[in-house]
Amino acid sequence: MLENNRKLFPYILILPAALVMIGVVFYPFIYNVVLSFSNMSLRNFREWQIIGLDQYYKVFFEPSEPSFYTIFLKTMIWTVANVTFHVVIGVMLAMMLNRQIKGKSVFRTLLILPWAIPQYIVALTWRGMFNYEYGSINLIITKYLGLPAVEWLRSPTEAFLAVILTNIWLGFPFMMVIALGGLQSISHEFYEAADIDGASAWQKFKNITIPLLRPVMIPAITLGIIWTFNNINVIWLVTNGGEPADQTHILVSYVYRAAFGLYRYGYAAALSMVIFFILLIFSLTFMKKTQATKAAY
Amino acid sequence: MKKNIFLISVFAITTFFGCTKDDRMHIRIWHQMRVEERVVMERQLARFMESRPEIRVEMLYKETEQLRNDFVIAAYARQGPEIVYGPSDMIGLLATLDVIRPLEQYFDEDYLGHFHETAKVWYEGHLYQLADKLGNHLALVYNKDIVAEPPETTDELIEIGKKVTVDRTGSGRIDQYGLVWNYTEPFFYVPFLAGFGGWVMDEAQERPTLNTDANVRALNFIQELRDVHRIVPREADYEIADALFKEGRAGMIINGDWSWGGYISAGLNIGVAPIPRVSETGLWASPMVSTKGFSINENIDDDKLTVVLEIIMFLNEPDNHLEATREVKTFPTRIETYDHPVVTEDPILINSKRQIDVGKPMPIVPELRAIWDSMRPHYQMVLNGRKSAEDAARDMQLLAERKIIEMLE
Repeated sequence: MLENNRKLFPYILILPAALVMIGVVFYPFIYNVVLSFSNMSLRNFREWQIIGLDQYYKVFFEPSEPSFYTIFLKTMIWTVANVTFHVVIGVMLAMMLNRQIKGKSVFRTLLILPWAIPQYIVALTWRGMFNYEYGSINLIITKYLGLPAVEWLRSPTEAFLAVILTNIWLGFPFMMVIALGGLQSISHEFYEAADIDGASAWQKFKNITIPLLRPVMIPAITLGIIWTFNNINVIWLVTNGGEPADQTHILVSYVYRAAFGLYRYGYAAALSMVIFFILLIFSLTFMKKTQATKAAY
Repeated sequence: MKKNIFLISVFAITTFFGCTKDDRMHIRIWHQMRVEERVVMERQLARFMESRPEIRVEMLYKETEQLRNDFVIAAYARQGPEIVYGPSDMIGLLATLDVIRPLEQYFDEDYLGHFHETAKVWYEGHLYQLADKLGNHLALVYNKDIVAEPPETTDELIEIGKKVTVDRTGSGRIDQYGLVWNYTEPFFYVPFLAGFGGWVMDEAQERPTLNTDANVRALNFIQELRDVHRIVPREADYEIADALFKEGRAGMIINGDWSWGGYISAGLNIGVAPIPRVSETGLWASPMVSTKGFSINENIDDDKLTVVLEIIMFLNEPDNHLEATREVKTFPTRIETYDHPVVTEDPILINSKRQIDVGKPMPIVPELRAIWDSMRPHYQMVLNGRKSAEDAARDMQLLAERKIIEMLE
């Protein structure tokens, strides 16, 4: 009896969390799967029916402007550009903060600031900064660099670049904090041994820092990719919902427009499932290829 | 062990007595009112609750699009507020989705007879909204310290605009613009589309009517205001335009009645006038005119329904309409108020009424959303020089037709 109670005890402990997970994750997920096979829309809101794979067919083959494939390509560019800069800037700053420098705590606080400010505020502030006539970016470009002003928010390429710049600024502190934690856990003995062997700074970075940071950074990069891929806030607020001319959408903002602009709930659910599988396949492959779970030591 | 039991007992007892049960009936209103409007309604509801202490009415602000989406989602789950307050253009959607109740069964003809016809928003044979504000429309607002007399025609608009667009420092940057407005947004473009003789949908509100010569001319007109006459900024969204006008760096702005109270509070010496006639056609630039008012959640409990109706009727009393009109400069819908000096002697309201009279009713069908989404990308391509007005008008039409089919699938 006592043995049975002991076995039961862990399940009782996880029960509240499991119930919450079922309510807020599993149930909506299953509901979304069902909707993706349905015709739920403006005209079929209360009495929708299962119609099979029609919505998936529409996602891949229905002519739309911009097309699924164009938006998918933009999403890839958006994700790769952002995460690359997040990691490079984050690791560089972490290495700087990991040294003995004066005012380290002040720098650390300042560098974490972008992360601490709500995304909504940051996005709208950057939108103002990108204004053609009154934005600070163009003022700097024209006044101090003597270059012509850039139409950041009116031209598709520049608008996409503007939104990437905003998200790079928002995202590097996370990678910096993770990398700093990883760097601090690396024993100095490795570097001392390398110094005795006459290793250069680059050799130390390549053969000690990178391999020992990897177990920390790979999960962070995976998370970063998933978050960036699905980051609707920055895109939506900086470009005012995909402006100019719907040219700055990523997949997730396109889903939002389909669901809440055109009330195509079935179609939006199918597109959400496609996004889910893209991220699932990517994450599994990435974790396997990078051997993220392999022990560092 | 005994100590632990004692602590747990103390915690339980204080928690139990710390929570007092609120026996009042809770009624929730979701709305999208700006601060000035909200303050007035909150005050009116406070008076209502004073007279009915057993009722508590709570207001929750949501941005217009969020209000619509959140209400749909909540009502679908048989939840949500008892009352939803917003512009009439959401009525077609909410009625189609079957998330609001027909109201004609609750208000008799005698009572409804006290309201302006437009305030009773009917859709497919049912009354779905009873409005307390008429208009929700754009008009020309001018800063009297910069522009003495408002323009009557677009030629005058350009002439005055050129006079007051100035680069005081000679730096090459404009310090004061003649006209600012959120011109990249189709809703703010539509008055000029009407002024050139066009409109967004046919009279039956079924088909988009965007591939027209009127649309081409209107698109070219807006582009010329910016690139040829240079009386509007190269880039201006709602916030930039609003800020420039509030800072006294623009002579005129095209903005809605919801904003005028804010300009007065900001200390600006403003006047309101109808958006000018288009000189080329002689037609008024006609903004969309709609209403803002109350609808009832389909899922409301029967015991709350009586109270909800009481609240709606209270907020629609003539004195309450006049209070909002006096403070926010919105146009009331109770016809008894139309002879009151608050309405008849205020120059802003007189001109607001002139604008309403030459405006056009806003379609309330859900398809309007597809039309906005189809106009926006091609309109913006014209503005950034990537498409001719002719191509844009054609593509707007094609896209709108396709989106409507998708929407009604």
